[in-house]
Amino acid sequence: MRNSVLRRAATIIGFVLVAALLPALLSGFQLQQVSVAISYAIAILGLNLLMGFAGQICLAQGTLFGIGAYVTAILNATYGSHPLAALPAAAAVTALAGLIVGLPALRLQGLQLAIITFGVAAAFPQLLLKLGTWTGGVSGLPIDFLEPPAFLADNSELWLYLMTLACAGVAAIIVSLVLAGDVGRALRAQRDSSQIAEAFGVNLVKTKLWAFAISSALAGLGGGVFAILNGFISPQSFLAPLSITIVIGSIVGGSTSIVGAFVGGLFITFVPTWTSNINLALGNVIYALALIGIMLLARGGVAGLLDRFTAALTTRSNPNGKAGQSAN
Amino acid sequence: MTLFVQIIVSGLATGAIYSALALALVLIFRATNVVNFGQGEMATFSAYCTWQLCLWGLPLWLAIAIGLAGSFVLGVLAFRVFIRPLLAAPVEATVVVTLGMFVLFQAMVTWLWGAEQKPSPSLFPDGGFSLGDVRILASSAGTLLVLIVLAAALGCLFAFTRLGLSMRAAAFDRVRSVLVGVNVERMLMLGWGFAAVIGMVAAVLVAPRLFLSPTMMTPILFYGLAAATVGGWTSPLGAVAGGLLVGVSESLGANYVGFLGADMRIAVPIVLTLFVLLVKPVGLFGTQKVTKL
Repeated sequence: MRNSVLRRAATIIGFVLVAALLPALLSGFQLQQVSVAISYAIAILGLNLLMGFAGQICLAQGTLFGIGAYVTAILNATYGSHPLAALPAAAAVTALAGLIVGLPALRLQGLQLAIITFGVAAAFPQLLLKLGTWTGGVSGLPIDFLEPPAFLADNSELWLYLMTLACAGVAAIIVSLVLAGDVGRALRAQRDSSQIAEAFGVNLVKTKLWAFAISSALAGLGGGVFAILNGFISPQSFLAPLSITIVIGSIVGGSTSIVGAFVGGLFITFVPTWTSNINLALGNVIYALALIGIMLLARGGVAGLLDRFTAALTTRSNPNGKAGQSAN
Repeated sequence: MTLFVQIIVSGLATGAIYSALALALVLIFRATNVVNFGQGEMATFSAYCTWQLCLWGLPLWLAIAIGLAGSFVLGVLAFRVFIRPLLAAPVEATVVVTLGMFVLFQAMVTWLWGAEQKPSPSLFPDGGFSLGDVRILASSAGTLLVLIVLAAALGCLFAFTRLGLSMRAAAFDRVRSVLVGVNVERMLMLGWGFAAVIGMVAAVLVAPRLFLSPTMMTPILFYGLAAATVGGWTSPLGAVAGGLLVGVSESLGANYVGFLGADMRIAVPIVLTLFVLLVKPVGLFGTQKVTKL
């Protein structure tokens, strides 16, 4: 027990250190890219809750991300609200949209959610074009530049980075609170055996819907942040493959881990940037091999490997005890 | 009225392609309890290989024969390398691996042949014939004919041969099939091989209408998944009926529902699938699987 608390504390400290060091080490453009990676990480966090802990696969997380981005942009561009004030609305609308899709699919066992969401992801860009009067069609929508406060006036990238980090922090806290509470326990129980969980009085449908609503809300929040960071969105940013890319980020980082979500966000942001100079298909080959390799060899993803590594270290320094349970 | 019949006929022809892919998906699902999201892209890969053989001067029929044999091997390999190690893993894990196959085969095709479209030779003669006022293209009739032959062949295989019986047994209960002397692993492998062949047939039927492109099967894959869900994942007959139903309703929706039009036609199978899931969750021809605790 003490060990797991220690490790959780170490994780948080390490995380804060890395987050604080990044602005000093990176150029403005790179910092901007890290911010985009963190906005993806927020959506991946939601997917981790749904896929890693509830055992449900959503192939429309990119679509929900897009809905969040569009709600933010429409509230800002059409109704003139402040971009940051639009974020909670984006999360709420996206959660609602998720529930409409998830309600029939989640009532059933198995893969129905994956199949339905796969179709929804394919239809979304077309729908955006169809609703051109609201969404601006092909030409997209602009979002107001987020004015930094006076003391950061000459470093807007840092300001955007801090804003993104704050949203990610809120998301991480929400996910860890959910996992530590009753809903989290019920989720894990139904993932491991739905029949036994039901026999213990877990309401499967309600539990899964909760997970899906929170997951969608986080996707919407991430999308809203993404829209603010980019300053402009169009259907081109939310094509169907984005949803699969987010699944890849979740699996590579480790789908039962909060740290893993950030690793995954960085992975899906930087792999395409680095490989596109060499060959356009190379990024996808790396994605596919990473995805299959991790499923076959190390189911916990990068975060799982890190966990095993730290566990090995703590066992050595603590010879009379086991490494404790792996922290989530 | 003529227009209505015309729309139905064209819907049936597209539906036949969905049926073929749904048949492949259902075959794999019955054998290994896996929904193979990589099915369409594997088929695209086989279709490109066939096209390449044609380009090297082989006659079309020979290239297709080699392509079909190659897809069988590809299916067996995919099962051995990617799926067998995960047979005991939870469903999410295998789905993620098949998603990986989806990305992998698409990337490989893009790498080897480039992203631009390629014109593809047609299997069927140009032109068509008329039944009353309704014009039927030779390619539509041919596509339907191929589907009927395919479904009949599979049906006979499952119903009347020892091999088919063994495959059904292996799909029904792996452990007890071993006890009565069925080589379960070989049956699962064969299931994947046959499914890859059927998928390739679907791709060859699609290619002449859409040109060859690395993403040509991606939308078809969703229609195939919808068809299998509508028809029922446990029933090959359901897959065929589901595919035709999806094809016809898509075609009707695109023509008669003003808001949808040609570019939102994908909404039709989504709504159809959601509706079937609400009314009869196992699909029209599916049977409830009883789980023993």
